[in-house]
Amino acid sequence: MQLAVNVLVLAAIYALISCGYVLIYRVSRVLSLAHGELMMLGAYGLYMTASLFSGEPVIAVLVSVALAFTIGLAVYAALMRHMTGEAVLTAVLATIALGIFVRGFVVLVWTAQEQHPARLLGIENTSFPVPGDARISLVGILLLAVTAAVYLGLYVFLRYTAWGIRMRATGQNPLLAAQRGIRLHGVYALAWGLATLTGGLAGMLISIDTALEQTLVLIGLKAFPAALVGGLDSLAGALLGSLIIATAEVLLIYYVNPLLADAVPFLVLTAMLMVRPWGLLGTREELDRV
Amino acid sequence: MNPALLKLDQVEVTYHRVITAVQGVSLAVPRGAIVALLGTNGAGKTTVLRAISGFIGLDDARVTEGAIELAGARIENRPPYRITGLGIVLVPERDKVFPNLTVAENLRANVPRPGTDRRGLEAAIYEFFPALKALRGREAGYLSGGERQMLAIGAGLACGPELLLVDELSLGLSPLLVEELMHRLRAVREHLGITLLLVEQNAQVALAIADHAYILENGRVVLEGGAERLRAHGDIREFYLGQGASGRRNYREVKQYRRSRRWYG
Amino acid sequence: MSRHRSAALGDRLRTSYQAELALLDRRSRRVAFAALAAALAAFPFLASAFQLDLANQVLLASIGAVAFMLLTGYAGQVSLGHAGLLAAGAFTTGILYKELDAPIWATLPASALVGAALGLVFGLPSLRLRGLYLAVSTLALHFIVIYAGMEYEARRSYSTGVVIDPPAIGGWTLASPLAWYFVLLGFAAAAVLVALNLLRSRTGRAWRAIRGREAVAEALGIHVPAAKLLAFLVSSVMTAVAGCLFAYYRGFVSSEAFTLYVTIQYAAMIIIGGMGSILGAVLGTIFVTLFPYFIEYLVATLPVPQSWVDSIYAVNYAAFGLVMILFLVLEPQGLVGLWRRAKQYFLLWPFKQRPLRASQ
Repeated sequence: MQLAVNVLVLAAIYALISCGYVLIYRVSRVLSLAHGELMMLGAYGLYMTASLFSGEPVIAVLVSVALAFTIGLAVYAALMRHMTGEAVLTAVLATIALGIFVRGFVVLVWTAQEQHPARLLGIENTSFPVPGDARISLVGILLLAVTAAVYLGLYVFLRYTAWGIRMRATGQNPLLAAQRGIRLHGVYALAWGLATLTGGLAGMLISIDTALEQTLVLIGLKAFPAALVGGLDSLAGALLGSLIIATAEVLLIYYVNPLLADAVPFLVLTAMLMVRPWGLLGTREELDRV
Repeated sequence: MNPALLKLDQVEVTYHRVITAVQGVSLAVPRGAIVALLGTNGAGKTTVLRAISGFIGLDDARVTEGAIELAGARIENRPPYRITGLGIVLVPERDKVFPNLTVAENLRANVPRPGTDRRGLEAAIYEFFPALKALRGREAGYLSGGERQMLAIGAGLACGPELLLVDELSLGLSPLLVEELMHRLRAVREHLGITLLLVEQNAQVALAIADHAYILENGRVVLEGGAERLRAHGDIREFYLGQGASGRRNYREVKQYRRSRRWYG
Repeated sequence: MSRHRSAALGDRLRTSYQAELALLDRRSRRVAFAALAAALAAFPFLASAFQLDLANQVLLASIGAVAFMLLTGYAGQVSLGHAGLLAAGAFTTGILYKELDAPIWATLPASALVGAALGLVFGLPSLRLRGLYLAVSTLALHFIVIYAGMEYEARRSYSTGVVIDPPAIGGWTLASPLAWYFVLLGFAAAAVLVALNLLRSRTGRAWRAIRGREAVAEALGIHVPAAKLLAFLVSSVMTAVAGCLFAYYRGFVSSEAFTLYVTIQYAAMIIIGGMGSILGAVLGTIFVTLFPYFIEYLVATLPVPQSWVDSIYAVNYAAFGLVMILFLVLEPQGLVGLWRRAKQYFLLWPFKQRPLRASQ
């Protein structure tokens, strides 16, 4: 039962992170390999607001979430906007370069030391008993709740709101969207903002759970196979992919070898790429877009 | 005569800085009129539409001479979103709907001109095209050609335009369907007061509903005039309406046509 | 043909196939090459120990960069598994040395073979995937190779890596930087020569066609899968050999040395250098290899906060990311693009190119 709890929490983490990959890819066909670093930046944002508003966790979290959204908008406006129209690979390399820059930037501003925003916020990560002789931490519960809320919110947003429909339209055919008056830059910026917001949320929660340090980026990188396995342009796929990878990881760590933890997502990804490169729920045609 | 809503004045469009696709094109679209732009393949009709709607930069082209004016304001070489914001909407020839969105979503996948009554417009569109209402929940990719064209026109209207540019409406559709769509367009003009500029290869159908028409050939306007007059014009009848003069055509007649091209109707 | 006339036509008059195919086909090129060769030969004797070490690093890296350029810059097959291939060569060397005490004339070919085999494996996805998805699959393979290396280290408890003695051939040991310089220069020159010749051949043309438009290449009768696999093969063999040399030069092998960052550095080399150009690969290598030292120099001389001096690797990261972004946004053609622009400016000065009437 504890295994099941672990799987669910890990899946929630991966799902929360991978919806960012999916959002950006679906709308602009760009694979943002800076997502892990932006996640970390979001977490450092929380650290910063936690120091400013120590003892008032709600305000700190709200401000840092808004900050993460703004950072996403800024990243698009300053960098990715210039990549529209370039080859996809160039855009991906730009995100890689951005990731490298953020990594250095973060250390220069906040040092490489491990930080503990939880302490600043006065949050205690108590664990709660769950039927079946298992335990779940407070952050675990939060993660599950937040991920569910985010996915529900995104679903409603994309399905029913005007801007959501515009985003989906832009993802399908940017030219036609522009012909209908939709401003592409605005849509792309919104995608980046939302992606950074959700990624940042994930980073914040993880940093409250354990600690804020450089390895946060690794988790971001491991979530990316989850997005691909499910299908890079499908949110539902991201959920499914996260569940699959989390299950594989937890089971293999428990029954085979703990060192496999970092390799498992990529093993699953490789298997998927051999069999069904566009993922479980992705659209097949994505394959031939180079 | 109504004042011109859209005016092209000696417009020249150049691709890749070296290829002149369209030269010396002047045309005027009066407010509330239906104007047809006719010509064979490669005549430059789509280029003109792109120049008007602002999507010309995509193919590395520019308006290098002349002016395009919308109600007096210059709009050539402006970014496309500005032009759609001013009320010019293009219904393209290809890729005219979002295939993975439903019909209803397609009608909402736009940013309408400021001041547009969305709800009212949507209701009006469903009235003009009742078939769309029945297909509201269907994904656009599953629509037939005719239904898709209807949706494309409806989606264009949903942007609240003053001027609707329709590119090759008749392509790939049965004659009956084309006729019906044309009649609907006329109804749209009557009830919504929208001006229409139709680019067509099918001159017969276009001249049936247009008020005024221009014939493009090799990037130049070779003939223009009221639709009635053009329908009766001998050369038009022969070369565009397929109603040739009796007997065999000889070279002298062809030369005559070429000569008449130098004159504007 | 009178001597007078052939002199007037200069070297453009070819009288044999051999003359047609020669790389140094013009007098000016021969002279330039001779000058370059002389400079390269004299350099180690005039440079300081530090500069010599830098040069060695550049030479070593250039082999990998040329290999990467062939695969991604010319054949258009995006591969993010480069560090994995380097690691494969290095680890083959290390493992053979430790387990079988193998000398360099065995480990080098072995590394090449392992590189070839792995290259085929890395190349298989390219038959089905393109662009992004291909990059991702090679990335996944990279992680798997590194994991294998880590497993080996864990099994043998080489927590800090495998230590290797300097290679010896006969009685002579390759240990001094000077000796390394000429050896590496030889390998680098060989790599460049192989690359240039391959590119001028049918294979090279096939690769360029595939990069341009794969469907058209296939329609032209090019056997696309074979060409792709060949690109991976050649590139990985070169890279694995570079990995082997790297192992000997450093004196030790550790899986921590082959991070994704290394792949990105090579990607930066070919991008900053300029895709689709061997000259670009070389220029990019020089730039990227020397860049950290340049940053170090800046940090030492300019007034910066102490924390920056302490975490110089972070300054490196941030600066490197920034420079890469600047090149991607402002000059996608890289250093070669800048070089060409400069050349054109000087060639045309004072006759600046007049724009055609229709342009702005």
